[in-house]
Amino acid sequence: MTSLSLNNVKKHFGRTEVIRGVDLSVDDGEFVVFVGPSGCGKSTLLRMISGLEDISSGVLKIGNRVVNETPPARRGVAMVFQSYALYPHLNVRDNMGFGLKVRKVPTDERARRVTEAARTLKLEPLLDRFPRELSGGQRQRVAIGRAIVGDPEVFLFDEPLSNLDAELRVHMRSEIASLHKRLGSTMIYVTHDQIEAMTLADKIVVLRDGLVEQVGTPRELYERPGNLFVAQFIGSPKMNILPVGSVAKALPVRPDSASHVGMRPEDLKLTDPGSGLVSGKVLLSEYTGASSLLHVELPDGEIFLVAYDGPTIDADTTLGLTIAPDRLHFFDSAGQRAS
Amino acid sequence: MTASLTRRRIRIINQICWTLALCIVAIPFVFPFLWMVSSGFKSAAEIFGSPSLVPREWQWQNFIDVFKHQPFARQYLNSLYIAVTVTALTLLVSSLAGYALARMRFAGAALVALFLVSALMVPEEVTIIPNFFMMRWAGLVDTHWPLILLPTFGPQGIMATFLMRQYFLALPKELEDAGKMDGLSRLGVWWSIALPMSRPALAAVAIITFLNSWNLFLEPLIFVSSLDKFTLPLALSNFTDPYGMPLWHLQLAATSLAVIPILVVYIIAQRQIIESFALSGVKG
Repeated sequence: MTSLSLNNVKKHFGRTEVIRGVDLSVDDGEFVVFVGPSGCGKSTLLRMISGLEDISSGVLKIGNRVVNETPPARRGVAMVFQSYALYPHLNVRDNMGFGLKVRKVPTDERARRVTEAARTLKLEPLLDRFPRELSGGQRQRVAIGRAIVGDPEVFLFDEPLSNLDAELRVHMRSEIASLHKRLGSTMIYVTHDQIEAMTLADKIVVLRDGLVEQVGTPRELYERPGNLFVAQFIGSPKMNILPVGSVAKALPVRPDSASHVGMRPEDLKLTDPGSGLVSGKVLLSEYTGASSLLHVELPDGEIFLVAYDGPTIDADTTLGLTIAPDRLHFFDSAGQRAS
Repeated sequence: MTASLTRRRIRIINQICWTLALCIVAIPFVFPFLWMVSSGFKSAAEIFGSPSLVPREWQWQNFIDVFKHQPFARQYLNSLYIAVTVTALTLLVSSLAGYALARMRFAGAALVALFLVSALMVPEEVTIIPNFFMMRWAGLVDTHWPLILLPTFGPQGIMATFLMRQYFLALPKELEDAGKMDGLSRLGVWWSIALPMSRPALAAVAIITFLNSWNLFLEPLIFVSSLDKFTLPLALSNFTDPYGMPLWHLQLAATSLAVIPILVVYIIAQRQIIESFALSGVKG
């Protein structure tokens, strides 16, 4: 187990700056998830930590060591790749023990560690199979096993579940969570799947355009987003945003600096037209099983999303929407949280 | 039941028709080979007599005379070791160069690739004279070095490099990243990951290079003059009488012997040879 810190870390490819100064500290045994839209730099940042990408400037520390110039294998990190990256010409046993062989770990010790990791991940019956003979979930477990045998200080996961089907993803997610509990290692995980981020993370790092937008626990990010971007990025369906002016009369209290107000679809309640915060006409009702998602058009043309759990509501129905005052989120003109 | 029988009959008739058609198409390709082998067992007079595939009198002596006429065993060995050396060297050079061109970002990479492509455009016959002067300057004329160095670093080597480059380009980059995470150096990634995963391309390069080297005629003709340094293609053209007229019966017997390694390679690696032609886009 070890901590990790990034101090004003930057990365540029030619003239394009993709990581524009990231400061972050990860504690011992913490599970940190990087999220953000495509191209925000989350995978690049992970690769910089792994050593697969150079750091253009700034300082990266793993434990107390500055590792900017340290080769990947000497950083004490292991990485699980999106495509598993298993060597197709080696069987599971050799795949898992390959890194130890390169590091010239004695054969007995290598066999012991591979067997131990295989037992942890229930891979023992598969040790003599080749990757082509394994299912997606089994391959993913082998990839994790390969990371475990090296006994790294930090585990890095680059969208490891994105190639699995929905059911298997849920299963593997819980396996990774229990693995973290069992090993207690520091883990950094990149995903674009919010459910993965919310369920796995001790701490979520939201990135946009190579910058950290907010760092916090899943609950902090969901309940107190630091800015408009995080407010709309975290949570599905995304938060509804309105200019404060358009609902000023109906708002009970608001901060002086507030310029926008945000309302999560699941916090909105239906009420009679004309009463509540806003009124609108139902354009579309999407039935999702547990609830329905209403697309409500406000008089000014804005579309509001409302998570609704009740009898079917037909299109063109006019209704009012209300929300508990403590569920409102206010943002100033710069998009930062106003309180 | 009747319908299934009819379908079976149609399928059998179909197969017979296809087999017959393929046999007819194969005649122009197979007949010269059979004629060569059978003529190797004929006397010189019989070869030009009434045409027949089966010799009237089997002249086993031809295959002994082949070795008496010139140091044929030595020449055979020359061809064999040169072809094996060229194949091994080409595999090494082309896989290293192909990997560098595919995976390493270095200044002038595009220029190097351009030079290589332009070298492919120049016919071998055009470069043979400058190559001869270069080899003479290096004191390598009438040695086997030109027959090893020119194919390895010449158009064949470049072709092999491009083939390997294309194959390496298609290998998933994450595997190399995984190798680096496991502690491999660049050379280690090439040896432990890229090469084992490129067996089809390596087989293609090996087969094409071996065949080309085995059949090489122009270079031995230009660079080698001593009889005991001849390779097979040159030796085959040397079965002549004192007046320079070809001794057909010996020449055809020697040619029959010369194709044995190629046949052996073909029988062992039939599938890889067909795949290699498909992979490299060249014909046999």
